[in-house]
Amino acid sequence: MSENTLRVVHVLNQFFGGVGGEEQANLPVQTRDGAVGPGRALQQLLGDQARIEATIIGGDNLFTEQWEVAAPAVKEALRKAAPDVLVAGPAFNAGRYGLACGAVCALAQEEGIPAVTAMYHENPGVLEYVKQVYIVPTGESLSDMHDALERMSRLAVKLGRGEALGPAADEGYLPRGIRRPGLREHPAAVRAVDMVVARLAGKPFVTELPIKMPERVDPAPPLPDVKHATLALVTTGALVPKGNPDRMVRGGSKDYLRYSIEGLQSLSSEDWESVHRGFYTLIVNENPNYVLPLNIVRDLEEQRAFKGLHPMFLTTSGVGTSVADAKRIGEGMAEELKGAGVDGCLLVAT
Amino acid sequence: MISALFSLALTTGAPRVVRGGRIEHVCGNPSLGPEKDREYGRHIVQTALDALQTEVAEPTLFDPSEEPAREAVAAR
Repeated sequence: MSENTLRVVHVLNQFFGGVGGEEQANLPVQTRDGAVGPGRALQQLLGDQARIEATIIGGDNLFTEQWEVAAPAVKEALRKAAPDVLVAGPAFNAGRYGLACGAVCALAQEEGIPAVTAMYHENPGVLEYVKQVYIVPTGESLSDMHDALERMSRLAVKLGRGEALGPAADEGYLPRGIRRPGLREHPAAVRAVDMVVARLAGKPFVTELPIKMPERVDPAPPLPDVKHATLALVTTGALVPKGNPDRMVRGGSKDYLRYSIEGLQSLSSEDWESVHRGFYTLIVNENPNYVLPLNIVRDLEEQRAFKGLHPMFLTTSGVGTSVADAKRIGEGMAEELKGAGVDGCLLVAT
Repeated sequence: MISALFSLALTTGAPRVVRGGRIEHVCGNPSLGPEKDREYGRHIVQTALDALQTEVAEPTLFDPSEEPAREAVAAR
């Protein structure tokens, strides 16, 4: 190791940190010396250029739900390790992990430490942090680990050395929506005409100003009086009859299911369970009303807080679902409920 | 929509978002004991019913802990 070797801190969740699965999702922030888990492969890729001095590990839920607890602990760990650059993930399509990586990178940058992470382009972490953090795109799953680490390691070395990064497309990170002035070979008019010609000829071309419109759904008008409304319950918590007779998938849903709650006052753990793979389901499986509050809704129905409850509830597994599938599932749910005369819906998302 | 990850729900553009408990127990909190747990859950659901009757122009957070105050969060 030469004195030019960069100091790296790597950030992992409880799973990649080798501590545990969902049951450890509230794991407090802890620091290990050296590389852990995927950090070992990262270290090999970094070679002599950089050394992973420490690995920060924390639970997915802690990072996303209790940031006010996680942030000071991360800060403290960063001060101790004094890295030249921080690397987080890769998080692939794990939503909470992606958010955690984004948040930790943003925090490191606030502390004057450059940072890079990697995740799937549909990861919610991209939506939240792509404008402020360097995010390397990855595949959806672990099978892309090696490539993801390679791309991150390259950027980490550059950032750690304080080298300026070029445009997103050249460096291999997701565009942050920043344009820098520079000189092109041809004037704008020529480039524009070239683009039109290519387009007319059906040839490939690359726009210089991609316009990405986030899809906006107009909010539904409010109910004039919820007392006269028929309501329905929907959950993305993968709630199914015990034993999962219709074999709902644990994640990556393509569809949703419906089950009758007619005459039921409450959901019993003897009859219902969650098969969701993206959170620790023990608590919900002891009391399924946490993910579909039937007991409370029945109380309110009895007190005439609203007119009546739709006899069926709709359920899907809201984890690792692609945006296109989620859209189709949502449209199907809305159409079904509307057709059944439902006025309003309570959707519980885990 | 009732969610523990409410800031994410707002960022993705859900119009009416009610702040739930935790990911593992969105509509309550078992550590409060049965009675208070039920009361808390009821407060969350009641906030959701109020949200259904409220006009919103953009993703808006309805927080049961500060009902009836509301925070409008601009969509990105």
